[in-house]
Amino acid sequence: MEEFIVNIIHRPEMVPEYAEKVTGHGKAEDIGRKALLTESLDIFKTQQEAAHINGLKTTIQMTYASLFNDEAVELAKEHHEKYGDEISLTLLGLPCEEFRAKYKTKDFCIWMFDMETKKSIVDDVFGKFYERFGFYPESTGSYYMDADLTNYIKEKYPSVKCAVATCWEEGPKAYHTCNNSWYTLMDGGPWAPWIPSKQNTHAPAANEAEDSGIVAIPHLSRDLIACYDGNGSNFGTHPQNVLRGMIYKAGEFDAEGNYSGQEYPYLYNLIDQYRYQAKFNNGYAYNMMFVGPGWMNKMGRWEAPYELLRQSYFDGCAYYGQLKKEGKLKDMTMAEFADYYRQKKSYTEPECALWRDILYGSDKQLFWYCDPFMRACVNMNQGGAIVDLRPYVSKLEWKVGIGTDHVQEAGYPFLIQEKYRAGYFTHYAGEGTVRSAKLCYNGEEVDLCQCRTHAHFEEANGERKLILDPVDIEFYDLTVKLQTVIAFPEGGSDIRIERHILEMSNPDAEVSINEYMVACYGITEYPEDMTCITLNAAKDGKNEELQYAYKCRECNVEGADEVSALIPPIHTKVSMTCDNAATGYYREGYAFSPMFTLGYTGAIKDKEVFSTWLKLEKAN
Amino acid sequence: MAQAGKGKLNYRCPSCFLRDLDIDMFYDKDKKEYYCIRCQYTGSEEDVQEKNQLARFRYRSMLKRYSMEDFEKFED
Repeated sequence: MEEFIVNIIHRPEMVPEYAEKVTGHGKAEDIGRKALLTESLDIFKTQQEAAHINGLKTTIQMTYASLFNDEAVELAKEHHEKYGDEISLTLLGLPCEEFRAKYKTKDFCIWMFDMETKKSIVDDVFGKFYERFGFYPESTGSYYMDADLTNYIKEKYPSVKCAVATCWEEGPKAYHTCNNSWYTLMDGGPWAPWIPSKQNTHAPAANEAEDSGIVAIPHLSRDLIACYDGNGSNFGTHPQNVLRGMIYKAGEFDAEGNYSGQEYPYLYNLIDQYRYQAKFNNGYAYNMMFVGPGWMNKMGRWEAPYELLRQSYFDGCAYYGQLKKEGKLKDMTMAEFADYYRQKKSYTEPECALWRDILYGSDKQLFWYCDPFMRACVNMNQGGAIVDLRPYVSKLEWKVGIGTDHVQEAGYPFLIQEKYRAGYFTHYAGEGTVRSAKLCYNGEEVDLCQCRTHAHFEEANGERKLILDPVDIEFYDLTVKLQTVIAFPEGGSDIRIERHILEMSNPDAEVSINEYMVACYGITEYPEDMTCITLNAAKDGKNEELQYAYKCRECNVEGADEVSALIPPIHTKVSMTCDNAATGYYREGYAFSPMFTLGYTGAIKDKEVFSTWLKLEKAN
Repeated sequence: MAQAGKGKLNYRCPSCFLRDLDIDMFYDKDKKEYYCIRCQYTGSEEDVQEKNQLARFRYRSMLKRYSMEDFEKFED
């Protein structure tokens, strides 16, 4: 039995983040303006109506500002009684006259405050909530919840069991889209619910000792291809995001001022492709819809008139409502979902997503894998290359906010990221980050990144396996049919990559194979200092070590047991090993190519398999 | 020349949108045109709408409805 769960969340945000800028254009800032407060509450009521008329319950995340508004408080109580909505508490929506008077700042993102102020705000907001409702909430959230913040909340308010904790791949791309003015630099996290570790929100807990005590949900369910490449705020389960992306056919007003004829099948395709993920996750799939009031502004937003903004939200709710009526969806509150998730998932069970392009008309397919030890993305459009890799195994303690080394940068570091550190293609010199392989024969070389293919998913013997369709590699006088199998053993922190030679036009031929990984470390687009990295090739207990100095050096060790890189700033060791007789190597980069390469070269014949492992370890 | 303001909808610059930048444009009521404060685009409301349509060239499946059977079905 497959289950598709949706959380629909609304927040009465009395001063929407965007609305003040939009409606207030040409007026001096006044966040206490009565018209703004009235409109904000009206939008909340409209959103609640859209859910309820479609038979859906919601989670009402009260904002700090709304706790000072009697009507908002009464509405929440009424809807809790009537529809079973959860009364929850968000750390978004802090701005209001009371907040500004007390904290004397325009900051509004909870993770960016210094720790003492975070605690003070949390106590204020939770205290005010208790004062208005007589109990503490079971769920909370923000665009991002750093680990210290979550740990504090869980310790002080143990009733909290669920939180909106990150926006998937909202980082430099979203920053860029907003003309470098939107500081949600937080990519590198899970795209679907997870149990955050106490050490780092992005990295799931591996066991009870690491368990932060909450179930985290992402802010929206986002397109796993479009958001990876483009602005996250265009491609999510958020009808107005889809409008922002211009992914719709506009309707028209008739003579009476009624708006109709709009079409946005992409929104429904996105929801359905998430439903499809149940196939890879033991029958479970998840969606989250969370539209802030600013997106349904009466002035219209982006190019969309209010009528379209409103109708798109009703249409989105109607689709979830239809799925529910058909028995294909369960609507839950956040607290209900946390209980469900705890019962459904074990710590080490990974989240898997086999995702196809549903927007651009290509056949591109990615596979995303997330567990307590890593997040990885495999790109079938590049022959099964790993194009994104985050070492969750290091459970990096990464404090964020004023007074730390990272005031805004809350992302989880990568070793491989094809958008920020190139991938297979580089413009002029050097190499980009990617894990792939090259086949060589008689002086010709073909990288598997050049071989477009697709994959299907298997789960057996404690492994999630990605079986790629075979590809043909054509040399001048030899054709090789090769199949890649990528295995993720559950509970391990390694990936096994097998290259199966299914057929050769000359059965006696021997080709050389170079399994390689080009990597570095970072969280944004710009390079970091690499001189802290130690490269090593180990054999029989002997180490060939090299301290990185941008000198373009390399080392080859025949029969190496392991080649590795130690990266102290992110407490990570990454290594490769090989199951075949092969030569292990590492290569240092240089200033114009600030990467390192690990790899194995060997020979392979018809019907043989060449198998290598990529392993991630925590290293202090 | 008086200061510019917002138009009836906050149109974004279609040229910047194509490079993944959301830049609200301002409206010059004297010239009856929108203009981008970041790049060099200027245009009437009609031109903005036309160029926005152009911006959709990359969404080849924008109006396609996929079925559950389509998510692992490819042409080759």
